[in-house]
Amino acid sequence: MRYLQADNLCHRFADGSVALDQVSITVAAGELIVIAGANGSGKTTLLKHLNGLLLPQSGQVILDDVPIVDDLRETRSKVGMVFQDPDSQIIGDTVYDDIAFGPENLRLSSQEVKRRVTKAMAEVGLTGFENKIPQNLSGGEKRLVAIAGVLAMDPAVLLMDEPFSNLDYGSARSVLTQIRRLHANGHAIIITTHDLEKVLGYADRLVVMRGGKIAADGQPSEIVTTIESYGVRPPCSVLMNGVIEPWLG
Amino acid sequence: MAGVSVVGYIPGTSILHRLDPRTKQFLVMFLGIVCFLANQWYFTIVTICILIFSPKSVWPFRLIGELKFFLLFLCVLFLVRGFGLDAHYIPYTDAERLQQAFLFCWQLLLVVLLGVMLVYTTSTKDIRAGLVWWLKPIPFINEQVLATMIGLLIRLIPLILFQALEISDGMKARNIENRRYPFYRFVRFTIQLFRRAFVTGDDLVDAMQARCYTEKRTMPLLTFAALDVLAALLGIGIALISLVGS
Repeated sequence: MRYLQADNLCHRFADGSVALDQVSITVAAGELIVIAGANGSGKTTLLKHLNGLLLPQSGQVILDDVPIVDDLRETRSKVGMVFQDPDSQIIGDTVYDDIAFGPENLRLSSQEVKRRVTKAMAEVGLTGFENKIPQNLSGGEKRLVAIAGVLAMDPAVLLMDEPFSNLDYGSARSVLTQIRRLHANGHAIIITTHDLEKVLGYADRLVVMRGGKIAADGQPSEIVTTIESYGVRPPCSVLMNGVIEPWLG
Repeated sequence: MAGVSVVGYIPGTSILHRLDPRTKQFLVMFLGIVCFLANQWYFTIVTICILIFSPKSVWPFRLIGELKFFLLFLCVLFLVRGFGLDAHYIPYTDAERLQQAFLFCWQLLLVVLLGVMLVYTTSTKDIRAGLVWWLKPIPFINEQVLATMIGLLIRLIPLILFQALEISDGMKARNIENRRYPFYRFVRFTIQLFRRAFVTGDDLVDAMQARCYTEKRTMPLLTFAALDVLAALLGIGIALISLVGS
């Protein structure tokens, strides 16, 4: 069932460069989509449009059959976004305060805020981190705090911009485990990356972007064989055995 | 980010942590103003109170590290006020002049320490809620906007300092120190810092908008307790006794 849809999105930056050119994409409930592409291909710009942080010069984004411009606040509570740099996403003084930031903006009661924060922390395995200072956490823990901050708003769709960038092996494993768990719980997840190694084995769909356009969209196994031509390195398992293997084993 | 040395909230359960933010804000304002009216006995009592009630983890290294530029400023101020120049530009001083300079610096240090203790023991969220409460009765002031701006400032300062640290390291790694003119270094550093401060500010705004930011949010529940009454009475008592005594 189609849940989130972008129709013919066009976006041009202030310097005149084209960021998105007639981009259309649909996201079904519970789907895990990987958007791959070289740097500057328009991945992050597309995510910001899906969340309503950027509005297109033409085209539209529709959430649950309603154009998102009708209610951006509702959109942002239903389509949560985890940014590439977790440091710039930290708002609170403590992990608890940071995760509570979203629910507080939704003007939920204090009891409901507490319930959601506790639940979100448990979901990403951060129980016991309530009074820690987010800036002092490791990169992987910061990423989990950012994910929990979005989960506390109870979104149906999660947008993750390069969730594995700058993470060591252990942290990447931990983040990927949480992504799989969220997907299994029914969240639709869209992940942008130029590193397919970790996540492609779990994706339902692979979308490739080049020069602000969607260059390919379909089953990962169909597209991955030609992905090098779009400036994206195929996973090792594809290069060596010709098949996509799960990274976590 | 952990390497950035800036005064910020330290989670804890000390007496100061347990006080209502409005009580702490009142005490900082009241005791700070009285600092400019009272004598050294008042300074001594307030200093002892700060030593007793402040979070133990900040003494002495963290506090000195975070206030190093202010302490340097105080040293300069002490020299300027404690020493004069005679007709032949030779420095001179006397016991009274030195004492006055010392008391003035102590006074300023106490005012800053009171504010620092507030920030150490009160989360930005609580500071904001307290400010909204204080500003609400004042006409023509949007207390929500003002409190939000102060909260944002507290959040943005560590980010900008982190950027400054990174730019400085990046420039040092490429031997900027070999440049002969400090002005050149200053210009290169400042332009880059401004650019990155704006980008960081934009990122922060994006992150806040993505999480439905609004000025009218769920506020923390603030409640005055017996401890707050006790703390306020103690503060007022110390100030009154010192003022009457002087």
